[in-house]
Amino acid sequence: MAIVNLHNVTYKYPLTETPALQNVNLRVKEGEFVAIIGRNGAGKSTLCYTLAGFVPHFFKGELTGSVEVAGMDASKSHLHEWVLNVGLVFQNPFNQISGAKYTVFEEIAFGLENIGVPRDEMKVRVEEAMRLTGISDLADRSPYSLSGGQQQRVALTSILVMQPKVLVLDEPTSQLDPIGAREVFGVIRTMAEQGMTVVLAEHKVEWIARFADRVVALHEGKIILDGTPREVLTSDLLLDKGFGISRYTSAARKARELGLWRQEQLPVTLEEAAEGFALTPNASPKRRCESK
Amino acid sequence: MSLNRSFFVPIDSPLHRLNPLTKLTFVFAMIISAFLSVPDMAPALAVLVLLTGFIGKVQRQYRTVLLKLILPAILFMFVMQSVFLPGGETILIQVGRFDVARENVRAAFLTVSRVFVMVSSFAILLLTTHPSKLMADLTRRGLPPQLAYVIISTLQILPQMQAKAQTILSAQRSRGLDTESTFLKRVRAIVPLVGPLVFGSLVEVEERAIAIEARGFTSPRAKTFLYEVPDTRADRLIRWTLVIFTLLSLAARIWLS
Repeated sequence: MAIVNLHNVTYKYPLTETPALQNVNLRVKEGEFVAIIGRNGAGKSTLCYTLAGFVPHFFKGELTGSVEVAGMDASKSHLHEWVLNVGLVFQNPFNQISGAKYTVFEEIAFGLENIGVPRDEMKVRVEEAMRLTGISDLADRSPYSLSGGQQQRVALTSILVMQPKVLVLDEPTSQLDPIGAREVFGVIRTMAEQGMTVVLAEHKVEWIARFADRVVALHEGKIILDGTPREVLTSDLLLDKGFGISRYTSAARKARELGLWRQEQLPVTLEEAAEGFALTPNASPKRRCESK
Repeated sequence: MSLNRSFFVPIDSPLHRLNPLTKLTFVFAMIISAFLSVPDMAPALAVLVLLTGFIGKVQRQYRTVLLKLILPAILFMFVMQSVFLPGGETILIQVGRFDVARENVRAAFLTVSRVFVMVSSFAILLLTTHPSKLMADLTRRGLPPQLAYVIISTLQILPQMQAKAQTILSAQRSRGLDTESTFLKRVRAIVPLVGPLVFGSLVEVEERAIAIEARGFTSPRAKTFLYEVPDTRADRLIRWTLVIFTLLSLAARIWLS
């Protein structure tokens, strides 16, 4: 049963001529972890906003085709119903802090206050969510005194505490340092492993290759590839369209040109690359010295 | 520091335990009476407010506010009004070309008392009331959540905007913007500062709107509140007393003067 079902979706922002999404068809099964890749301006954010209901409800503009997420239909539902089912986390951690709360605990409870969760249940849920994302020790800090990575985890926790059925993340690590990114990715991985449906727009293909179930490549508002990480990330099409690709794939591709990569399939992860290079007969230390 | 953007002092005291609305009622009762009742009321209320400040166990912070904020302002006002108010019959002393009349000193004292009541009672409210609790309680009683959000987020976001203005300023200076020479040049230097700050803030506003919308801010369901803000019988009693007091002080103005 697909929890996300986009059919022939075309969308234009107000006052623009070219559509940001063109004939997008996307089905996501419950519990699936789908990564969306694409260059800047390819429509990744727009797709995320569409899944989260902000297109068309918040941005207005012109939407054709059908959008169904978690049993709701975009043409019939209100945004406040969507946010109960779909959680959205985006790039800038600072702008996701509500600004109305003085501690991290209050900040995370903000969403639950808005949707009328009783006080006792609220406290339990906030504590549980903080434990899950590993930020229990930040409970009494001001959200503004935190590092980017911590702030982004607070933003993520604030969404998770609302227990959405689908989690949509729009480049959640693009403004973080490597440590912050690793922390946020850790949480995303946990959520995916616990069976939450996750849609993640992201540039870091090496991480996607390891953990995503499926990769969708967007280019100029159209889906050009949709398949397993291996299928999509090793495709020549990505190279033609100027996508960032895994350095392991690049290395193997170069090796193949030199006749050093003998496998049919190109690797996307370190492990696959190591395995493939180990099979290369030329890779013996002796030959390598001679070729110098 | 979790509360570094508010005056609130996180301790326990009789004033802290009062319902925020009770304290807000106190503030407005004091201000209305001080400004609209018979003139002699204002100094008496000033004393009352001063004493109230000291049951809050925030003496140290209250004293700081008194000495650093209120005292310089009211001293200045007192001197200015005493010396420069025109008219007055009974001359007490002469300061240069100006006469200091008894009537003017009295008027200055009245103004100063009123200002003291206003600023000082607000200070007591802010020192003893957690801003979140104040807003939660008012929202529960029917203040539109949007308004509560605007008030409280402004307090939080101002320091952030200041920091951003500073960053932009440094960036522009590193490209050779002159901010330290003549007045005219400095005024011109504001232009390249305002553009990025305003447009940047507008973009941020959109993102923040998305962020709070994603947290169900516009949900039509009845909101609940993380903090329980007790409203006791004593609170109600104090509030009604304050309301009656305010009405009486207005009546005094109408019938006694």
